[in-house]
Amino acid sequence: MAGEEEFPLDVSPMYEGERVRKEDMFVELGGPTQPGFELVIYEPDAEKVKDGHVELIGPDLTEMEEGKAYPYAMIYKVWGPEIDKDLEPVIERRNHEFQPYIQGYMHLNQRDEIWVRISKSAMKKGLKSLKQIGRKTIELFKSELPFIQKMEALYITDKEEVEKRLEEARKVYRARDERARGLHEEDVEEFYQCTLCQSFAPTNVCIVTPDRPALCGAMSWFDCRASARVDPEGPNAPVPKGECIDPIAGEYTGVNEAAVRLSGGEYNRIKLHSFFDCPHTSCGCFEVAGFYIPEVDGIGWIHRGSKVRETPIGLPFSTIAGSVGGGRQVYGFLGIGIPYFYSPKFIQADGGWRRVVWMASDLKERVADAIPDEMKDKIATEKEAKTIDELKEFLKKVDHPVVKGVVRPVDGKKITEGWAEEEAPPEAAAAEAAAPEAAAAPTAAAPAQQPAAPQVAMPQFPLLPTAPAAQPQIQIPTTPAGAPVKVILKDANVTIGKIILKRKEEK
Amino acid sequence: MAKGILDVAGLENVRIFIGEVAEEEEEWEPMGPHPKPGITTLRNWDFKLLQRYKPFYAPFCDMCCLCTYGKCDLSGNKKGACGIRMDAQQGRIVLLACLIGCTAHAGHARHLLHDLIRKFGRDAPIDFGPEIAVEAPLTRLITGIRPKTIGDMEEVLDYIEEQIVQLSDALHTGQEGSFLDFESKALHMGMLDSLAKEVADIIQIAAYKLPSSHPGGGPDVPLVEVGLGTVDTSKPVILVIGHNVPPAADIADYLMEHGLEDAVELAGICCTAHDTTRYYPKAKIVCALGRQLRAIRLGIADVIVVDEQCIRADIVELAQKTFTPVIATNDKALHGLEDRTYDEPDKVVKDLVEGKVPGVLILDPERVGEVAVKTAMQIAPKRRAMKIIMDDEEFQRWVRLCYQCGNCTLACPNGLRIGSAMAKAATGDTKPLAELFDLCVGCGRCEQVCKRHIPIVDVITKAAYPYVRQERGKARVGRGPVWDTEIRDVGAPIVLGTIPGVIAIIGCGNYPNGTRDAYLITKEFADRNYIVVLTGCMAIDAALWKDEEGRGVYETHHGRFDAGGVINIGSCVSNAHIHGACIKIASIYARRNLRGNYEEIADYILNRVGACGVAWGAMSQKAASIATGFNRLGVPAVVGPHGTKYRRAYLGRPDIEDDWKIIDARDGTEYRFEPAPQHLLVACETVEEALPMIAKLCFRPSDTDRGRSIKLTHYIDLHEKYLGCLPPDWHLFVRTATDLPIARREELLKRLEDEHGWKIDWERKRILEGPMRPYDPSFDPTNLPRLIRKKKE
Repeated sequence: MAGEEEFPLDVSPMYEGERVRKEDMFVELGGPTQPGFELVIYEPDAEKVKDGHVELIGPDLTEMEEGKAYPYAMIYKVWGPEIDKDLEPVIERRNHEFQPYIQGYMHLNQRDEIWVRISKSAMKKGLKSLKQIGRKTIELFKSELPFIQKMEALYITDKEEVEKRLEEARKVYRARDERARGLHEEDVEEFYQCTLCQSFAPTNVCIVTPDRPALCGAMSWFDCRASARVDPEGPNAPVPKGECIDPIAGEYTGVNEAAVRLSGGEYNRIKLHSFFDCPHTSCGCFEVAGFYIPEVDGIGWIHRGSKVRETPIGLPFSTIAGSVGGGRQVYGFLGIGIPYFYSPKFIQADGGWRRVVWMASDLKERVADAIPDEMKDKIATEKEAKTIDELKEFLKKVDHPVVKGVVRPVDGKKITEGWAEEEAPPEAAAAEAAAPEAAAAPTAAAPAQQPAAPQVAMPQFPLLPTAPAAQPQIQIPTTPAGAPVKVILKDANVTIGKIILKRKEEK
Repeated sequence: MAKGILDVAGLENVRIFIGEVAEEEEEWEPMGPHPKPGITTLRNWDFKLLQRYKPFYAPFCDMCCLCTYGKCDLSGNKKGACGIRMDAQQGRIVLLACLIGCTAHAGHARHLLHDLIRKFGRDAPIDFGPEIAVEAPLTRLITGIRPKTIGDMEEVLDYIEEQIVQLSDALHTGQEGSFLDFESKALHMGMLDSLAKEVADIIQIAAYKLPSSHPGGGPDVPLVEVGLGTVDTSKPVILVIGHNVPPAADIADYLMEHGLEDAVELAGICCTAHDTTRYYPKAKIVCALGRQLRAIRLGIADVIVVDEQCIRADIVELAQKTFTPVIATNDKALHGLEDRTYDEPDKVVKDLVEGKVPGVLILDPERVGEVAVKTAMQIAPKRRAMKIIMDDEEFQRWVRLCYQCGNCTLACPNGLRIGSAMAKAATGDTKPLAELFDLCVGCGRCEQVCKRHIPIVDVITKAAYPYVRQERGKARVGRGPVWDTEIRDVGAPIVLGTIPGVIAIIGCGNYPNGTRDAYLITKEFADRNYIVVLTGCMAIDAALWKDEEGRGVYETHHGRFDAGGVINIGSCVSNAHIHGACIKIASIYARRNLRGNYEEIADYILNRVGACGVAWGAMSQKAASIATGFNRLGVPAVVGPHGTKYRRAYLGRPDIEDDWKIIDARDGTEYRFEPAPQHLLVACETVEEALPMIAKLCFRPSDTDRGRSIKLTHYIDLHEKYLGCLPPDWHLFVRTATDLPIARREELLKRLEDEHGWKIDWERKRILEGPMRPYDPSFDPTNLPRLIRKKKE
């Protein structure tokens, strides 16, 4: 068997996230001062891959000077009957998963930004050559991804050689990005499921397409595809797309069938690019939570870890997030992954970016290049709008599409009416069935214990549309349907345990 | 009343009593099936647990001496005069221990609530800031109440107290006869205990504004000093001991109001120390319970203020020997002192300073601060002139007096070889004696049996004195509840296995081999990216040790509830937030309703949340009820060797196939499954045995393959590291090849083939035959048939 030589270092997930600090560092490879990159290339000709072989161009560890930084390239050639060019980036990214398992070997970032450090203690333990690292890495790759049948590595520490090949590598990265951007639901026959989160959220249905990455942000269509190659019946089994019922909302027969199967019958329709109608379910892992703001008939977004504490609807991320999640379809809320902002189909059924009225400023900054130019200045952040009133003011000032009615870019259809007149309840045409009903409760009705709450109407969250609430209420036993009973009390003690004062029903 | 249902035609001599008038509650969540469960409500759940995790009894005593029929010898399958058998009697004693533990927390909570309502009013709001929406998970889960003010907790305590009375009733002669029902009652008591702790901690966080998710709370809490060497004895020193913080808070208030923060040291032992630093981060944590006797004997305190629980019964006598006055503040621990609550403070101070009385009672916490501070300031100069620590000459005299009879070693719970260390010290080598300092649990039993009346504890302390003065560590202040947003953030890593589990290091300091184990367990799991949460004594002891660079485990690890975090949750009562974090995982990921829904949530936690408690030095009855409360919620616990003295473990038997059946909630199919987790309560003899056991108890049937692979990596790795071989049962946890540790997949597949006869497809590196069940990522495990989902057609 390959790799029988005694590898001097421990290899375990416990070293993931291990940092090699400057004082403990033997050498640095790549990083901020030296060129570096990693690249996986699919080789269609099996004969051209020398399995398990590692070549090194340039000085090896024993020839390096302690404390110095060196250029570093890791180029892997892979072959297997199930591999194709589209798997290259997925395999490549695993380098960053496997190499940090090696004790005393720090691997940060990917592509041409890699930053590697090897610790002094790794050298003390008997590490002598980068070839050892290469061989161990190949072993890990082949063990985790058995569809890789042959794999060889070329490591380079020679500056000139690294720089020369870096140009080629960048061309490959660019071509891949274009390919990924150019790949859409129409171009593929299969989507993928991701059932990993079902271990915590059993009814969650996660469907990953080229236009809709998983809402955790961790799994793209390409990632799932690779995982399905490893285990076709595993967590990322393919979902045949079936017939397309609605190309704009993203409804497919295959997805609906998968929804029934995966949710145990809980859900039977999922529209991949709709916010209001049969939205995608949300597990607990979503990166960003979207929330409908009925007062302006638009959608706001805030991400996990945002520095922004309050949204215009008066709720922090924790409370909004509490309304999403649980592996359910929740109307009026949606969990998504950050990469979905970059999808051309981003909530396209509901007007896409034109329906977005508010974002946490740190989120808006982070995805700035995803926002179409026409909308860049029209989306408020907490800096412009902390309350619904301020938001309304802002949207009017910038003439946001929601004010006069949203025309969705995908087909030019006008999908909202706009604000009919000041203070009139917004008519959410597309959202009829979806809007949280109580959300427009007038300010005066805000619960008494919230005196400090500003003019913001506290939306009452839609109660879960699940099992009918089993509110145990003790009924006074009624004799035959409503027949009046006459009671005379004499010498009686009446004990009332508790009187509940009911609020008047609002009209 | 609805029209027409009742028509009262006349009233004559009618008295109407109205118990309570309440406003209609705001709709917040539908009520689940089990609000305010009684003794039998969750009995079926308990029996499910007890059927798989059978009570294993190790009788500490074969007799029952509780009634005048007795003593009854129950050994050899004999029944007692009342008809009780050994197993039921053991269950009964366990229930009694849990009763004592639970009443300590519930009594503490009630006492605290009285004090806080008096000081802050019933309407003091429970507002834990923007990151915490579910403020009281256990309260919502068990009682169906969502508390908004501290006054709302009265109803919760009413429920707890009523249940405690009913359960205690079952202890009487001629009541319960079945060991399983005793255990079910103990589990019920454990659950009440968890609830009482939540009440206590929530009201004190709310009233005193202890860290929560307001600015400065959560991961941003400050570090405080820990250790016997941290107290600056050039200043007057007030030492608070116990668990109930209002008197200590009043002392802090007094110091702040009078600008004395830098003039007087406020230091604490045990949980009051934790809670004092949560309120007043200038306070210092002197030590955990294990060092109490020695800290008092060292005489560092100019005045000792005790409240309740885990205070030495001989506190006044001990303190008198170091000329330290004692102020008792809680009616549960009066220590024979005179009540001077409403005396002129200066008169009380004068009597204490002049030594006219050994101590006083001050039962109103708001009157403690002035007396304690003034006493400390006035007595300190006098005490500094006295000789408290023994001198070298006296030390030599004592060690030479020892004739190595060995009585002390026999009496020592850890069997420490005191005599031989004394002999070495007599020849001038004090190192062996000094080394006993940390291994000693500080009970003082050695002195009770010493024929030469050597003050052994003092002699050891004297030998270790240079070290003791160096004992300075750092711990993060107890941060209270885990944030809802933090739980959300760890969702993906828990699913993907990058966080293999949550390790709760809790309980007392009755360790078999010193405090270093607390540090070792913490560090080992935090280094492996588990989330490590600590409370109470172990949270203190873990801070005493340092790495080669002199950094403690709270300094090398962050304080977020995330991979590799080392989080001081707080005092004993803060343990409830660990339950709370597990409960919130269910509510956040699966959106399970909490309200009155204990059984379903416990089932969720048992099957999904890879959490394990570690009470390595469990000593008190509270530790018994705490562990039992975790167990009922589906969280297993590991205790140290002294934990066997609780008489009962809950051990699973992987060899009994029928015990390991679980339902797939999707369609009701029953599966045999791996022992995940294998035990609910297990004692380990050594820390080397405990470390792999803790990792093993993090397995859950719902693990994804990635999660299982990483959990298995650590289980195997820890077993090899500390016990020197592969665990004998590792293969039980393999469902598919991707469950195997990635770095050793090939080797382990080979072993499965060679040693266990499994069939392997080497081409695709897949397992064809062997595992007891297949891996299905959508498997929805439950123990409750009522949760089987019916397919909608």
